[in-house]
Amino acid sequence: MKTKPWLAAAMAAALSASLLSGCSGADNGGNAASPAPGISASPAAPQKLRILSANVGGKTPEENEKFEAALSELTGMDVTLEKPAEGYDQKVLTALGSGEKYDLIEGSNLGVLDTFVEQGVVSDLTEFVESSAVLSDPKVIPAAEWEQLTDKDGRIVAVFSKFQGGTMPIVRKDWLDKLKLSEPQTLEDYYEVLKAFKEQDPDGNGKDDTYGLSTSGLYDIQGFMSAAGLKYRYVMEDGKRTIPYATDAAVPMYEWFAKLFKEGILDPNFVTNDTAKMRNLFLTDRVGMVTYWDAWVGMFNSLRQQQDPSTAFAAAALPPASGPDGERIMRRGDPDYWFVPANAEHPEAAKQFLEFWQTEPGIMLGSLGIEGEDYIKEGDSLKLTDIGKEHNMDHGVPFWYNENVKPPFGKLPGVQEAQDLVKAHASLELALPGWSDAEKIVQQYALEAMSGKRPTRSSGCARSCSPRS
Amino acid sequence: MTTMKRFGALYAMMIPVVLYFLVYAYYPLARGLQISFQDYRLMGTHPYTGWDNYRLVLQDASFLDAFVNTLLIGGGTLALGFAAPLAIALSLNEVLRSWFRKTAQMVLYLPHLLSWVVIGGMWIFLLSPDTGLVNVVLVKLGMSGPIHFLADAGWSRWMLILLVTWKDMGYNCILFLAGIVSISPSLYEAARMDGASRWQQMRDVTLPQLSGTMKVIFLLNTLGILRIFDPVFILRNPATASKVDVLMMYTFQRGILEMKIGPAAAASFLVVLLTFALTFAVRRLIRFDEV
Repeated sequence: MKTKPWLAAAMAAALSASLLSGCSGADNGGNAASPAPGISASPAAPQKLRILSANVGGKTPEENEKFEAALSELTGMDVTLEKPAEGYDQKVLTALGSGEKYDLIEGSNLGVLDTFVEQGVVSDLTEFVESSAVLSDPKVIPAAEWEQLTDKDGRIVAVFSKFQGGTMPIVRKDWLDKLKLSEPQTLEDYYEVLKAFKEQDPDGNGKDDTYGLSTSGLYDIQGFMSAAGLKYRYVMEDGKRTIPYATDAAVPMYEWFAKLFKEGILDPNFVTNDTAKMRNLFLTDRVGMVTYWDAWVGMFNSLRQQQDPSTAFAAAALPPASGPDGERIMRRGDPDYWFVPANAEHPEAAKQFLEFWQTEPGIMLGSLGIEGEDYIKEGDSLKLTDIGKEHNMDHGVPFWYNENVKPPFGKLPGVQEAQDLVKAHASLELALPGWSDAEKIVQQYALEAMSGKRPTRSSGCARSCSPRS
Repeated sequence: MTTMKRFGALYAMMIPVVLYFLVYAYYPLARGLQISFQDYRLMGTHPYTGWDNYRLVLQDASFLDAFVNTLLIGGGTLALGFAAPLAIALSLNEVLRSWFRKTAQMVLYLPHLLSWVVIGGMWIFLLSPDTGLVNVVLVKLGMSGPIHFLADAGWSRWMLILLVTWKDMGYNCILFLAGIVSISPSLYEAARMDGASRWQQMRDVTLPQLSGTMKVIFLLNTLGILRIFDPVFILRNPATASKVDVLMMYTFQRGILEMKIGPAAAASFLVVLLTFALTFAVRRLIRFDEV
C-alpha cells in the first residue's frame, strides 16, 4: 500500500512529460545550409517521394490513396502522401523531432516557418527557384510574392502550394437589396446596415431573431478597424514594434463594437463562437454579416444553391470601412507553402514535384481532383462528378497563381469580386516573436471592451497592452 | 533461485507490462529531463545549456500566472470534486428504493463517459446568453439579463471548477458507494441497538469507516490537479485565457505551438516536481500511511 501513491505519482510525472515524447528522437544532424544529398534511385526504379500534407490530397483516406496513385502516375515518381486526419501541427513537430524523413512538408504559418528556419529544419531553395524555368516565370508566380517566403538572410525557403486570399466583411446582398440599402463604405454606413439587419426583419419571418453582425472573437474585425487605420498584430514604426489594436486610437473602435453589443446588433456569442458556428449563423438566416475568407463568399452561395436552387440567398464581399485618409486595410492570410526538410532523402524529387505542382496537371489535380473520380473528360470539356461537386473543386488548391491555367468551371459566384478586393487592399500581418503572449492581453482587453464589460476610456488597455519592446 | 523457478511464469507475464512502462513512460521521462537542459532544436545539435531553460520559465510572467490559475482551479476542483460526490454518495446510500438509486447512479456517471469535446460543446450551447437553457431559466426566474458565463472573466474559473466536478462526480460517487457498501452491517446493527438515529449512524459509523476510501480518492485527485488540461483547452477563449490558462496549457503553448522544446520540457518537469511535492504534503496531511 505504501508504494502505490509513489507509483501513481511517477505515472503522473511520466504522463506529464510524455507530451514531449515525440521530440525524443535521436539527433538527426541535418543542416539547413548544406542539405543532405539526394539518394538516387536505381535507373529502373521510379524516384521515391514522401510528402506530409495538411490540405493537399483526398478528402477521405480512401480518396487519398487514389490521389497518391494519381500523383505517382502524373509525376512518374513513387509518391507517398500522408495526410493526417487531425493534429497536423503535432504530427509535423513529432516527425521532425524524431528524425523522420519527409521530402516535402506542407505548412501555412509564416511564424512557424521562421521557427523552422531558425532551427535549421528547412533547405535553401533560392538557387533552385531562380534557375527553374517554371517557378521563376512571373506569370506562374508573380516575382513580388516570393518575398513572403524569403527568410531574413534573403534565402527562399519554401514554395507556394496555392494562392492565399484574405478576410473581409461578407454581407447578405439579398437582404441589402430587400431593405433598399446600399453597400456600406464608412463605419457609419456599416452601423446603419447592421442596425437595419437587426431591426427590420430582413428574413421576413415576423420574428426578432436576426443579428446584424457575428464574428468569432477578434477573428477577423480588421475590416472595421480599418476605419481607424489600425492593422492587427505588429506594425513597425521607426524601427520599433507597435501594436495598433492596443493604442488609444483603438478605443473609439471598441466603443463602436460595445454599442453594437449593447443594442443587440452584435451576436452575443461572438466571444465563444468558433468559425463553424459563425458560418452556420450566416447560412441559416440568423445574421446578415460575418467576417471571413474570400473563398467562402462562393462557398456560401454554392452551399445554399445546392440546398435550394431557387434560393434568393446571395453573399457578397464588402470593402473594409474607409480610414481617415480614405485608405482601406484588409488582412491577407499567411500563404500555404511546401518546404523541403534539411534531412530529406530525395530533395531532387521534391524539386521536380514543386515545379509539377505549378503546372496545369498539378493545378488540376490540386483543384478539381482525380480524373475519373472527381471529374471526367467528355471530348474537350470537363464534367464534375457528384463526388467532385461535393469536393467543391478543392483538393488543397482552390486558387492558384499561374495565369496560364484558367479555372475550367470559372469561379464560384462572388469569389472574383472578393479576390479583387484582396488584391487591392490586403496585406500580410507581421508575426514577431512574443506575439502569442501579447495577443492574449490584447484579445482579453479588446473582447471585454467590445462586450461593454470594460469602460474603454478608463480601462488602461492602451497602457497595459502596449508592446514590451 | 527456487522462487524464480516457482514463479517464473508469473514474472514472464509481467515483462510486457514492465516493457510498456519503460518504453512509453520512463524513457520519455528521462529524455524529457535531458531535453530540459538542452537548447533543443528540431534538427542539428542540441547543446547543453545548464539551468537556462528553468531560469527562463521561472522568470516568465506567463508561467507564474499559469501557476496561480492552476492552484485556484485545481484547488477548487479538488475541494468541490471531493465534497460533492461524497455528499451525493451518502445521500444515495439513504435511498431505500434501489431502482431510484441505480438510475441516479447511472445518470450521474454518464458525463464521465463523454469526452471533453462533447461536454464542452454541450455546455457552450447550454450557457449561451441568447438561446442557452440556463440563461433562459435564470431570466424567467427574474434575473435582469443573461450572463455570458463562459466569456466573463469573473465566472470563468468557477465554471471550470463546476463543470470538472460535474463531469467526474459520478465516477467518484461510485468509488464512495463501493466503500460504503463494504462497511460491515453489524456496525449499523450495533448502532441501531444503541438507539442511534440515521444521522448518527452516518456521522459515527459511515464516515469513520469510509475514511480509507476518502483518503485514496483525495490523494488520487491531488495527483491530477496540476495536470488539468482538456477542459481548459476546450472551454477557454481569448476573453478568459488569462484567468484559466494553467500550467499544462503553458507547456502546450510553448512546446507545440511555439516549438520552444527546451523551455516546454523544463516547465513539464516543474509540474512533475510540484506534483511530487504536493503529493508528499497531502500524504503527510491526511496521514495516508494510516489507512
